[in-house]
Amino acid sequence: MRRGGLQVGGGPDGGRVLCAHCLSEIVREDAVLDDAGGETVPFCCRGCLAIYRLINGEGLGDFYARRQGWRPGPPETATADPSLFSEVVRQAGAGMEADLLIAGIRCASCVWLIERALSRLNGVEVVRLNYATHRARIRWRPEETSIEEILRRICSLGYTPKPYTGSIYREGLDRERKDLLVRFGTAAFFTMQLMLYTVALYAGYFQGMDPLYKKAFQFISWALATPVLFYSGHPFLRNSLRGVRRGLFGMDVLVALGSFSAYAYSVYAVLTGGEVYFDTASMIVTLVLLGRLLEAGARVRAGEAVAALMTLQPKEARLLRKAGERRTDDSGPLTLPLREIEPGDVVSVLPGEKIPLDGLVIDGVSEVDESMLTGESSPGRKQAGAEVFAGTVNLNGRLVVEVKRTGGDTVLSQIVKAVEDAQARKAPLQAVADRVVRWFVPAVLSVALATFLLRFFFGADTAVLAPALMNAVSVLVVACPCALGLATPLAILSGSAAAARRGLLVKGGDVYERASGVDCVVFDKTGTLTEGRPAVTDVVVTADGWSAERLLRYAASVEAFSEHPVSSAITGACREPLLEVSGFRAHPGLGVEGRIGGGRVLAGNGKFLSIHGIGFDGSEGVYEGFVSAGKTVVAVAVAGRLCGLIALEDTLKKGVKEVVGSLGRMGAGVMMLTGDNPGAAERIAGEAGITDMTAGVTPLEKAGIIRHRKSGGAVVAMVGDGINDAPALTEADVGIAVGRATDVAIESADAVIMNGRPELVADLLGLSKKTFRVVKQNLFWAFSYNVIAVPLAAAGFLHPVISAVLMASSSLIVVGNSLRLART
Amino acid sequence: MEMWSIFFLIAVVSCLGAAAWLVFLWAVRSGQFEDLEGPKYRMLEDDTPVDRGAEEE
Repeated sequence: MRRGGLQVGGGPDGGRVLCAHCLSEIVREDAVLDDAGGETVPFCCRGCLAIYRLINGEGLGDFYARRQGWRPGPPETATADPSLFSEVVRQAGAGMEADLLIAGIRCASCVWLIERALSRLNGVEVVRLNYATHRARIRWRPEETSIEEILRRICSLGYTPKPYTGSIYREGLDRERKDLLVRFGTAAFFTMQLMLYTVALYAGYFQGMDPLYKKAFQFISWALATPVLFYSGHPFLRNSLRGVRRGLFGMDVLVALGSFSAYAYSVYAVLTGGEVYFDTASMIVTLVLLGRLLEAGARVRAGEAVAALMTLQPKEARLLRKAGERRTDDSGPLTLPLREIEPGDVVSVLPGEKIPLDGLVIDGVSEVDESMLTGESSPGRKQAGAEVFAGTVNLNGRLVVEVKRTGGDTVLSQIVKAVEDAQARKAPLQAVADRVVRWFVPAVLSVALATFLLRFFFGADTAVLAPALMNAVSVLVVACPCALGLATPLAILSGSAAAARRGLLVKGGDVYERASGVDCVVFDKTGTLTEGRPAVTDVVVTADGWSAERLLRYAASVEAFSEHPVSSAITGACREPLLEVSGFRAHPGLGVEGRIGGGRVLAGNGKFLSIHGIGFDGSEGVYEGFVSAGKTVVAVAVAGRLCGLIALEDTLKKGVKEVVGSLGRMGAGVMMLTGDNPGAAERIAGEAGITDMTAGVTPLEKAGIIRHRKSGGAVVAMVGDGINDAPALTEADVGIAVGRATDVAIESADAVIMNGRPELVADLLGLSKKTFRVVKQNLFWAFSYNVIAVPLAAAGFLHPVISAVLMASSSLIVVGNSLRLART
Repeated sequence: MEMWSIFFLIAVVSCLGAAAWLVFLWAVRSGQFEDLEGPKYRMLEDDTPVDRGAEEE
C-alpha cells in the first residue's frame, strides 16, 4: 500500500511524490514541504499541510498509519454556515444535540479521526458517526462549546458538515424496519422455545407419553405461541382484515388464515384432547416476517439513492447581484442558502466548486466536468453564453453564472424526480406469489366452509360440531401456504447464491422474473462498454530528429501539471523520467503550455496550435483521420514547430464483443445509448458489433427511449454505471449497474455486476431464466399438490396430522428443487 | 422426583429464553442494529473508547 510521506526521495517515477495527507500525486517541485517533525514531508497544498499539522497536533497521527482504502484526492475546502444548521440543533436533556451529514468520508479511519478529534473538544459529550450512512449524532454542553466550534473543527479536518434533514418518508421506513425487527426477533425467540416442547410432543405421539406431561407441554406451547401470533403476527391480521373488507385477498390473508386456523384448532385440541399444531402456526409467522425484514432493508437502501442524489447539489451559492441590479456589489460575493436564490440572480463559481443551479455563463472561461449528467467522457469548455447545470463540477476557472432555473426545475432535480417515480412504480418482491394467491385464498376458504357445512348438515352424524370442524381444519392445514409461500423465495435465494458466486448482486426476487423475459438490452457507452478513461493509442512523429519516446516524454512533462483525464493518460503512458518544466499554463478547452530547457512546448488541439500560428505542415490528413475515427488528438509543438500528434481513445473492455454475440444468440436485441459525441460513439459501437446506436442523448432522453421501447412491447434491460444512467436504470424493466459504478447507479439498479465484466450480463439473463423456471416449477408443484390434497381432505380422508405431514413433505420437495439452482 | 426435575428444568429454560429475549429488546432499543457496517472497522482500533477519552480532558 502506498503511503504518504515515504516517497520524498522521488525515484523512478520522475520526481513525483504523494501528498502526505490526501495521497494526490504531485510533481516534487510543486510540493509544499514541511520539516517541522525532523523529516521532510511533502504536501499538495497549504490546506493539506494545515490538516496534517492539526491531526498530528491533536496526537491523532496514528490516522495516517491505520487508514486503508483511502481514495486519493484533495480534501473538500468548503465552509459551513452555522445558520443553516439551526433546524437540526435541538435540546437533549441538559445539553444540545444535532444530526449532521458529513461529506468527504473516504475510509473507515475517517470515522475514527472525526470521532476522536471532536470528542477532544471541551464540552462535547458524545460523538457517534455511522459509517454506512455518514450521519453523525453529536451531543454537547452549550455552556462550554457551540455548534459553530464543532462545525469549524470538522471543516478544519477537511470534511464538510451538512445539516441532516431526513425526510419523513425515510424516517417512516427506518421506523418500519425497527418495528419489523422487534416483531421478528420476538417471534424467533418464542418459536425456538416452542420447538423444544413440540419435539417432545412429536416423540410422545409416536412412542406414547404420560397424559399429564402431554397436557402440560400443550399448555406451555399454547402460552409460547400466543405472543407470536398476536404480537408478531399482528401486522398480518390487521392487513388481512383491512384487505378482506375491501375485497382483496393477498399473501397476508393466506398467512393469517394458515397460522390462525392452525392456532385456533390447536386451542380447541388443548381443551378437548387431540394433537396441537402451535409450531406450524408460529413457524409460518416467523418465516414470513424474516422475508419482510429483508425486503424492508432493500427499500431503505432505495431511499438512500435519492438522498445521495440530493447531496450532489451544493447547499449554498455565492451571490454577486440580485436579478435586475445593475452594479456589482463592492462587498464581494455573499454566500446564501440556495432557497434564497431566484432565477435572474448572478452567482460566481470558483474552480473546484460544484455549480449550484442551472444557468447561463455570462463571464469567465473554464472546463466543466458534466460526466455525472451527460456521460460525456471529457470535460467541456464553457464560456460566455454556454449553459451549465446544477451538480456539475467547475474544474479550472472562475465562472460568473446567471441563474435560469432553481429548485425543482433544475436538470438534477428532474433526474431525482424520475428516479423516485420509477421506484414507486416498481412491483414489490412478492408480486408473483401475490398474483396467484389472490384467487387461491378465496377458493380455499370456500372449500373449507363448504366442507364444514356439508359435513355438519349432511354427514353421517349430522349436526355434530367436532368431525365437521376437523375436516374443515384439515382442508386449511393441508392448503397451508408453506409450499406456496416458499416456492418463490427459496428459488430466489438459491438463484442469488449462484449469482453471487459469479460476482452478480441481484437485489430482489422480482428481478429474476423480469430479467428472464428480457428481449432488448441497452448499454451505456462510457464506463460500461469502455474502460471510461482515455488511453494513448497512437504517437505519430511529424518532424525530423524526433522519436515517439522523446515526443511522449516532452508532452508528458508538460501535461503532468494538469488534472485533465487526457493529461493523466499521456503522463501515464510515458515510461521515462519527466523533464524539468517552467512557466506552465493551462488553457481550458484548448491545451497546456510550458518551457522545457528554454523551448516553449505547446500541447493541445488543432485550434490551440492555430491560435499560436503553428501550421500542420502537411499533417492535416493524419489529424483529420484520427478525429473522424472518434479519437482525441493532442498536437505537440516545440519551439514553434509541430513535432508530432498523440491520439487517445477510450478503449473497449474485454469481452464486450462476445457478450453482444451471445446476447444475439439468446434472441435479445442489443442497443447502445450514450451522451457522448457521435464520432466516438460510432467507433465503439462498430468495434463492439452493435448496429443500433443513439448518441448525444440526455439522461431523461435515455429513460424516454427505454419507455418508448417498453410501450412497443419489449422487455428492456439497461446496463450503465453513471448518475446520468440512473433514470434509465430505474425506468428499464431490469437495471444493471456495472463495477465501479457511482453509488446512485448502484442504488437505482436491480442488479450489480461487481467485477465490472460486461459478459456477465448474458450470465445474469441466463441464470434468471433458470431461476424463474424453478419458481414456476415450484408453484406448479405447490398447486398440483393442493389440487389433489384439498379434495381428499374435504372428503374426510385426511386426519389433520396426516395433512400436516403431507404439507411438510410438499415443502421439502420445493426446497430440494430450489437447491438444484445453487449448484449451477 | 422425576416430575419435579422436569418442571424445574422447564422453568430454568424459560428463564434463559426470556433473558435472551430481553437482551434482544434492549439491543434494538439502544440502536445496536442501526450501523451494521462500522463496528467491524471500529473493532480493529485498539485505544480508549471515545466517550472515556472525552471525560479525561
